Amino acid sequence: MTVSPLSERKETILQGDVRASADANLTLSTVLGSCVAICLYDPLNRIGGMNHFLLSTPQNPATASDCDTDYGLYLMELLINEMFKLGANKTHMKARAYGGANMNRDLAPIGQSNAAFARTFLRDEGISLVYEDLEGEVARRVDFRPATGQVRVRRIASVDPATLPTQIPQAGRKRDLGTVELF
Amino acid sequence: MDQTSAEQAISVLTVDDSASIRALLRVALTSRGFAVQQAEDGQEALEWLAANEVDVIITDINMPRLDGFGLIEKLRSSALHADRPILVLTTESSEEKKTRARSAGATGWIVKPFDADKLTAALRRVAH
Repeated sequence: MTVSPLSERKETILQGDVRASADANLTLSTVLGSCVAICLYDPLNRIGGMNHFLLSTPQNPATASDCDTDYGLYLMELLINEMFKLGANKTHMKARAYGGANMNRDLAPIGQSNAAFARTFLRDEGISLVYEDLEGEVARRVDFRPATGQVRVRRIASVDPATLPTQIPQAGRKRDLGTVELF
Repeated sequence: MDQTSAEQAISVLTVDDSASIRALLRVALTSRGFAVQQAEDGQEALEWLAANEVDVIITDINMPRLDGFGLIEKLRSSALHADRPILVLTTESSEEKKTRARSAGATGWIVKPFDADKLTAALRRVAH
């Protein structure tokens, strides 16, 4: 099938975003430093999606887990549920994982913690991690076509780490955390 | 099913297809003194509840086989669990889904990611 360039669309996925689609003309694009993006796709139903997260490391690593996994779990579940709504089946899902660079050798290896979370989550959920391009020290631009699962990655050696997010916007996302409404 | 028991503890059945969420809930609730049972979807929960009782049920919405709405409707039509407190714990934020859960007979609605202290306060409030 020939696809008209005019019908091609690109959407940018920012930190904290989740997007799923079955649109064959759509590319999801993101730039990753320490952040991790999981590209999930169901090849049978031709549905895919991407998220983009950065998990904070605890203030005291001796008393807490390696990172803020609650937030990562939330963004992974949101992605899976968005794909369910489009008709995807979890047993068909495959994953590609990108990012998690340790951009500054003098800081805690936050990228490594984020990559570790991604691997552990996918293993625990029984989702096959068919490809990973994680860790290292350079930023990446990832273009993902959700309907086909195709990915193009470019390494961005010259990116200024200061332009990439290294902190979670805690105040914003924690505000309504776990709101309870009793009927 | 995983089981952790504690004498006199409020017993909770959590229903979620995500192994990661189940682990998170198990740790959060057992460390706060609750006795926790876990099911992977509505169907497994329904089968377990046919022969067992708990004080409170926490259920996800999007699950294979039998989803949270289906589970609530089936429990509300059963004599054993017609009045059982059921809290929905979900990533769904739409008013339409919340209204549907309320109509089906849910006791409360909690949006993920959950705050363990708020969740346990709600559990203690609805447990009879």
